Amino acid sequence: MSLLDELKELVVKGDMVNAVAKTQEALDEGLAPGKLIDEALIAAMDVVGEMYKSGELFVPEMLVAAQTMQACMEKLEPLVAADELKSAGKVVIGTVKDDLHDIGKNLVAMMLRGAGFEVVDLGVDVAVEEFVAKVKELKPDILGMSALLTTTVPQMDLVIKALDEAGLRSQVQVIVGGAAVTPEFAKNIGADGYAPDAAGAVDWAKNCMISSN
Amino acid sequence: MGISGGLHGGQYQPLSQEQISQIHKATLEVLSNTGVEISNKTAQELLESAGARVDKERNRVYLPAELVEKSIGSAPSEVLLAGREEKNDLLLGGKRVYLGTGGTALNVLDLNNTRRPSTLEDCRNTAKLVDALDNIHFFVLPVYPNELPKEEVDVNRFYSAMQNTTKHIMGGVYTIEGIRKVIKIAEKIAGGPEKLRKRPFISMITCIMSPLKFDDTYTELMLEVARQGIPLATPPCPMAGATGPVTLAGTLVQQNAEALAGIVLTQQVNPGTPMLYSAVPTTVDIRTMDFLFGSVEMGLLNAAISQVAQFYNLPIYSTAGVTDSKIPDVQAGYEKATTAMLCALAGSNYVHDCAGLIERGMTVSYAQYVIDNEINGMVMRAVRGIEVNTESLAVDVINKVGPAGNYIAEQHTLKYMRSEFFLPQVSDRQSYHRWMEEGEKDGWQRANEIAEKILANHKPTPIPVEIEGQLAEEIPELRL
Repeated sequence: MSLLDELKELVVKGDMVNAVAKTQEALDEGLAPGKLIDEALIAAMDVVGEMYKSGELFVPEMLVAAQTMQACMEKLEPLVAADELKSAGKVVIGTVKDDLHDIGKNLVAMMLRGAGFEVVDLGVDVAVEEFVAKVKELKPDILGMSALLTTTVPQMDLVIKALDEAGLRSQVQVIVGGAAVTPEFAKNIGADGYAPDAAGAVDWAKNCMISSN
Repeated sequence: MGISGGLHGGQYQPLSQEQISQIHKATLEVLSNTGVEISNKTAQELLESAGARVDKERNRVYLPAELVEKSIGSAPSEVLLAGREEKNDLLLGGKRVYLGTGGTALNVLDLNNTRRPSTLEDCRNTAKLVDALDNIHFFVLPVYPNELPKEEVDVNRFYSAMQNTTKHIMGGVYTIEGIRKVIKIAEKIAGGPEKLRKRPFISMITCIMSPLKFDDTYTELMLEVARQGIPLATPPCPMAGATGPVTLAGTLVQQNAEALAGIVLTQQVNPGTPMLYSAVPTTVDIRTMDFLFGSVEMGLLNAAISQVAQFYNLPIYSTAGVTDSKIPDVQAGYEKATTAMLCALAGSNYVHDCAGLIERGMTVSYAQYVIDNEINGMVMRAVRGIEVNTESLAVDVINKVGPAGNYIAEQHTLKYMRSEFFLPQVSDRQSYHRWMEEGEKDGWQRANEIAEKILANHKPTPIPVEIEGQLAEEIPELRL
């Protein structure tokens, strides 16, 4: 097996210590950081996503693989020239106001980073104004919103309306999710997308970037 | 016919005394070394005065063993949850078992098999339905009136229940104003504040966030209910694998720490205030991290935690009898029966969520209440067990009937047959042909028909007209 394949396998297995060591070994052998990122790390997360969807991997394994990938990325990112580091896209994500649930959102953020996206996580209890301000400031390709409580889900509608009023709506693709959100609700409020889980969110985000490019 | 509750359980003991002791010790360690996060300043001050160590920067409160043990001692070991009619009273403590409803669901699967958001009318109907079902011993407000503004929710949820059942009513609360108004209404109906505290026919629920966090809003509500001396449940809901350790024993430790922290805090506010040791431990689907409410492990957890509460001599509010199925089907049947049976046989005092809920608690089904009344009847029959005495050993009868005889017309049979056997309403026990003639109906259909009849015909004991009139004037947002 090539070093690239070995590293990829360690990431899929979520073996952080050995994956980080293998990353260093690969660098010492002269492999280009950018190549390692694309063909070992991001490729590993693609495999993880597929294995999760097929039911072979469970959420905790997916999370540990994403954390492993991040640990290797931390070694490689500083070595890659800014222009060479192709981000898959920029995402701003947060849990809406009065809602403190974040386990799902954090998983989505991790998986998106695993897929090569740049993710700015605004945290929980994020007010409408803050979502809008960050979209204006950071100009993300995608805005993701999460809610677990039915009572807080209406915030998503308010955010989309506020983006509209600020003249920002057309500049960003909005995806919503969370246990309280349904595909119908997403459609009714004019969101661009909905996903029932992190793997679905990553698929949607990738497709989103393809169609916008 | 009164309620069938209050029978003594405890036959099923998943934990040995030694294991309970280990869980207790581990819990004390967690409470004094890890502590709980409480940002509410009033609560921090109360606990600090009582001997807790407070790290104000991190909002971390460490509870020493002495404080925990003292609070367990001061909390009452018996709590009366009254009904508006005395026949519906519940005396919680020991290993006496009662089974009742739970909430709060956001949807209803109605009699026409339509799934839709719940309304105030559903609040009324579910209360009326439960009022007529004898194996559902208490009424925890099950649904949320989606059409009402937030400020009107508490009073209307409680009042709609008060109008439609005389069983004990417990509910989650959302605002301080709401708590106060609900108590005022109850005081009026009871005949005064003292009468209500003596025979509280309402009680409340405020939640603790697993793992180990008392959120500010809920803490405020918790303190208010405790100050008012109204019976209170403060349940955490650790999900083993996600917000509790994946191992069941670990989740029991964390659940115990959270439940005891609730007792400690409320006992500082108002020593002796009626508290239920509260538990809603459950599991997640490790494949997806989805919340579950129908796993067999949940039954084990609630049975085991009941033993822990018995060890402390505290009455327990526990959880069982729910399903992850979206419909009242076979999955609903086996999941509900399994967890309800395990928990009740462990002698759990106040097993809530034990009727009506499907879809892991997101939806209530009218038909399911009738089915669960049946399951509960079977469960209580199991709790009741087998009476062994001279009459029941029946040696004389056996001798009289003799070899090759039969017992059908014996006085002994006539005397005991109705009480010895649980008589189902939903289960079909007929021959194939009879069943076919009657339309080949399944359990769900039969239950649906029974629910329909009850809703059409049952007349709950109303609240006296003069009192209603006064309430209408004093609380304009009451939807009568």
